Amino acid sequence: MLSPNQKKDKVIRSTDLDALACRLSCAQQGYFLPMDNNISKLVASYSKYLQFCEGYTNLSASRTFRMAFNDRKFPIINRGTYLRTQSISQIVEEFIKEFGTCQILSLGGGSDTRCFKYVSPNVKYLEIDFPETAKIKKLTILGDNGLRAIVKYEGEEHIGLDVTTRDQFNDIEPDLHTSNYHIIGYDLRKLTHSSEVLQFVDSSLPTLVLSECVLCYASPQENENIINIWSNYFGSTLMSLIVYDPISLKDAFGAQMADNLQRRGINLLTFNAFATVESKLEFFHQLGLKNSKVTDISSVGGYESTGAWFDEEEVKRISKLEIIDEVEEIKLLFSHYCLLYGENQSSRSFRAINNWRWKLESD
Amino acid sequence: MDLDTDVPMEDVSDDHSETYQGGAKIDASKSKPSELTGDSVNQLDQWIEKLANCEPLSEQDVKRLCDMAVDVLQFEENVQPVQVPVTICGDVHGQFHDLMELFKIGGPCPDTNYLFMGDYVDRGYYSVETVSFLVCMKVRYPNRITILRGNHESRQITQVYGFYDECLRKYGSANVWKVFTDLFDYFPITALVDNKIFCLHGGLSPMIETIDQVRELNRIQEVPHEGPMCDLLWSDPDDRGGWGISPRGAGFTFGQDISEQFNHTNDLSLIARAHQLVMEGYSWSHQQSVVTIFSAPNYCYRCGNQAAIMEVDEMHNRQFLQYDPSIRPGEPTVTRKTPDYFL
Repeated sequence: MLSPNQKKDKVIRSTDLDALACRLSCAQQGYFLPMDNNISKLVASYSKYLQFCEGYTNLSASRTFRMAFNDRKFPIINRGTYLRTQSISQIVEEFIKEFGTCQILSLGGGSDTRCFKYVSPNVKYLEIDFPETAKIKKLTILGDNGLRAIVKYEGEEHIGLDVTTRDQFNDIEPDLHTSNYHIIGYDLRKLTHSSEVLQFVDSSLPTLVLSECVLCYASPQENENIINIWSNYFGSTLMSLIVYDPISLKDAFGAQMADNLQRRGINLLTFNAFATVESKLEFFHQLGLKNSKVTDISSVGGYESTGAWFDEEEVKRISKLEIIDEVEEIKLLFSHYCLLYGENQSSRSFRAINNWRWKLESD
Repeated sequence: MDLDTDVPMEDVSDDHSETYQGGAKIDASKSKPSELTGDSVNQLDQWIEKLANCEPLSEQDVKRLCDMAVDVLQFEENVQPVQVPVTICGDVHGQFHDLMELFKIGGPCPDTNYLFMGDYVDRGYYSVETVSFLVCMKVRYPNRITILRGNHESRQITQVYGFYDECLRKYGSANVWKVFTDLFDYFPITALVDNKIFCLHGGLSPMIETIDQVRELNRIQEVPHEGPMCDLLWSDPDDRGGWGISPRGAGFTFGQDISEQFNHTNDLSLIARAHQLVMEGYSWSHQQSVVTIFSAPNYCYRCGNQAAIMEVDEMHNRQFLQYDPSIRPGEPTVTRKTPDYFL
């Protein structure tokens, strides 16, 4: 039996499956160009290994899997998934362009496939997630020659091909380390200044830290702790932080959202604590982050007066992919997700971050 | 977006009969619906009772119901005249239990006259029961209830937004979807309450200046991708004046100048329409020349909005009745899937 806390964590881990299902649907509708073929590899891995994860049986895993993947995703979900993914990818690309040799650190990135796109001899890519989630990603990589080549895995190990029992799955070491790619199984809420995971992170490289729907599951105190540790760890080296999080706006939609997610056992711990773009920005300010900026996904998508983050041609392309009859709902849902940027007190700054249209900024 | 984009849809795109584009003929040998026989009345009352418990009809019965409904709806006009008093309602979207709540708030039909402005199907989990119920009521009490066509009463939209999938799930085939979407072609597209309130799902069209021009349209067809009939079902009022490009990719946005001109030309006091989610259930635009009414509370089980209906009495006084989602004793909320969010 799982303890209440274990149950909560199981639910948090299961949100990775939601995100993966959304990315798969989005890709299948043609939103991502070029088509991202790595998404389906992660899906295949999950369908194979979810049954061995804590709190799952063969039956419950296939039920969970069906729930996530069987229903058609509405256009609003595909559109929002695209906006979230592409806006962050744009920032990653510009960061790499500006700094050349740099590091991307993805917190709780789970089954995200962005790493395979950007890891390179110049770009060191690290991902930290729950050990089970890390394991599934590691098995996906080791089981696929294309991904092994991308992360430059040179070992001979072909584990994964023969993991057919829970015991075998449990015995696998979650971490995977290559010259430029690291996946680390670690609960971020336990992060301290002396955590072992820090040894893999190069504090001399300008670093972009990504948190996509991750910090929202940690308490405000844990948020503060996690952000402070990274800020300090990099010292005078630039650490840029991008956070994509839901915000309640303390309105009827937000209340219903909290209610619906609660029914699934999901607690968004920062949802009401930092309920608006203003309070998100203020939080970054209080943590001593500078050059902070915030916007919401409705603005990123061009549904508000600020103008979209994408050029006209791209807006036209994606608006032709599916019939959208959810304009009011789109504004509502997307305005409850914010994109937040800040950087530590380093002498350097990420200049290109000013290229995008932000809703609010502080020094 | 362009509505002519093919929506890739398994099971549908290859089947010629299901890509049918409308064009059914009105039976020219008749000029009014057949009188309901005692047997038909009994049959309809049985169906209504069954549906009121949120139990879907059998496929066979849906076919019989829709045959009866064609016989009624084909004789209605593009601009169906409606008398006061009447209660005007907006989108329902398969939220069956909230529709029952609506009848509780507004009074039971046929004691209260109702005018629904479309979008009975898609999004909610009970499109089949919702549209079956409303069509049953229409056939049973044709002079007491008017059901207009919304942009979701369409073959293409229902394949994206849930009605098609729901029919497949509940009946094991697309037959019921086919029968209903064929029936939708006969739904009237606008109504005129006492010559003063023009009711329709979406809004105005740059190709329509007078109500008589609506009367001239051939409506018995699939909702077209453009043109006046499309606009009437898709357009939205906007703060900007004049005509604008709609973010929905179909229909237009129209400003206060357009609404005022239309009301003046046609001697109207009000345009009542639905189509847009509004958090209070109703919302005035264009200095009260347009009202939006939305009757699906907590739309998609996600939006947290109130719903509303508008009563118009014999003196043309208007009153809005707002309501929240029904407590659903019959609905197993525990097993209900949480609406999607980005997680």
